[in-house]
Amino acid sequence: MQFDWLTFGLQIVNVLVLLAILRHFLFRPVADIIARRQADIVAAQDAADAAQAQAARAEAVARAETDKIAIARDDMLSRAQSDGEAQRARLVQAARAEADRIIADARTEATRIVDGAQAVTLRRARDLAETIAARALSDLPDPPTAAGFARRLAAELASLPEARRDAMLGGADVRLVASTALTDGDLATTRSVLIPLGLDHAPIEVDPTLISGLELRSSTGAIHNSLAHDLTRISEALDNDDGSGT
Amino acid sequence: MTDSPLDLTYAFNLGPFAISWVVVVTWGILLLLGLGSFAMTRRLALRPGKGQAVLELVVGAIDDQIRATIPGDPARFRTLIGTLFLFILTANWSSLVPGIEPPTAHLETDAALALIVFAATLGYGIRAQGVLGYLKSFTRPSWVMIPLNLVEQITRTFSLMIRLFGNVMSGVFVIGIILSLAGLLVPIPLMALDLLTGAVQAYIFAILALVFIASAVEDSAPQEKDPPS
Repeated sequence: MQFDWLTFGLQIVNVLVLLAILRHFLFRPVADIIARRQADIVAAQDAADAAQAQAARAEAVARAETDKIAIARDDMLSRAQSDGEAQRARLVQAARAEADRIIADARTEATRIVDGAQAVTLRRARDLAETIAARALSDLPDPPTAAGFARRLAAELASLPEARRDAMLGGADVRLVASTALTDGDLATTRSVLIPLGLDHAPIEVDPTLISGLELRSSTGAIHNSLAHDLTRISEALDNDDGSGT
Repeated sequence: MTDSPLDLTYAFNLGPFAISWVVVVTWGILLLLGLGSFAMTRRLALRPGKGQAVLELVVGAIDDQIRATIPGDPARFRTLIGTLFLFILTANWSSLVPGIEPPTAHLETDAALALIVFAATLGYGIRAQGVLGYLKSFTRPSWVMIPLNLVEQITRTFSLMIRLFGNVMSGVFVIGIILSLAGLLVPIPLMALDLLTGAVQAYIFAILALVFIASAVEDSAPQEKDPPS
């Protein structure tokens, strides 16, 4: 066995050269790429942490914003409620004022209508009175004295059927009713007119409600011959006219 | 190969110097590792392919071993330990190529490696503790131990050299003997075992170098573990 110092020296050089070669071409590049990857991982993790922190901050901001919006919403709701209350009060007040105005207008209108109606009523009453008066006057005997009413009573009795006339005149308590006490002249004239009817001795009563006229009354009926009766009849006729005319 | 592995054979003469086959094979290993490293690290990417993954696995495993022995950044020792491991592994496995005798089966190569480890231990120790500090480390645990500690520096370097030489040379020697006595296929199981032995010896050499360096750079120098032979 021999020891070759040249080979020994060359092997030292060879190993040192290999050391340099592997350092340059193997260990450093691989270590660098591993370090870069680790740095990338760390950077990615840092970025993820930063993104997480940012998301947390954004979430906090969003939560604060939500709270602010909720507060603003509550404020708006309360403001809207108070505005609504005020608006309602204003509207109620306006409605009441409008109602008062309408009521006042209605009252005025009602007053005007009532006044107009009263005027119409008065005018109609006047017209009615005129009509009644005209009709009553037209129905009055001519002349409208006790003798005239006696003659109209006689004519009325004569126009009755005989049986009814006889029943009327043959009834008990046959009497004449005048509106006022007859003077002697009027009494004489009246009896002379009624003699043909056998009433010349019939008693004469006074009934002021007749206004004017001479009526025959007995237990079997009555012959109305007075201004009061004419007015009543005219009124009923006018009522019937109104009922049928309207 | 039936020649004695203890003898050097020479490939050619370079002027007055005779270049042995050991040196030539070592150049081939340099070329192989250099070109292989260059080819495999040309296109490193953050998203690694299969080849890059293997490289990162190897470098990561070396870093893990360094970190397990010496706390701190493994980059300080990565090149030396990694180069020793890869060179010895490749040299040991070069015996698979017919006609090639592993450089580590010769004492010159193992002595060169051991000397480099010795120099590195010295250099790292002085860099870490200073000259005086490193010298003081020989007084631990007592100044009485100075001669023994000094002898230990020499003997452990020799043991490193002889361990690698003995294991690899014996493997080559046994295979050569069996090949000369038996048929062509008989040594194959022994060659497979030689592969395992080569890998284990590369690992042991690198780990022991790391332990020696660790004992030099750390204040409380760890005792050398009883290395497997």
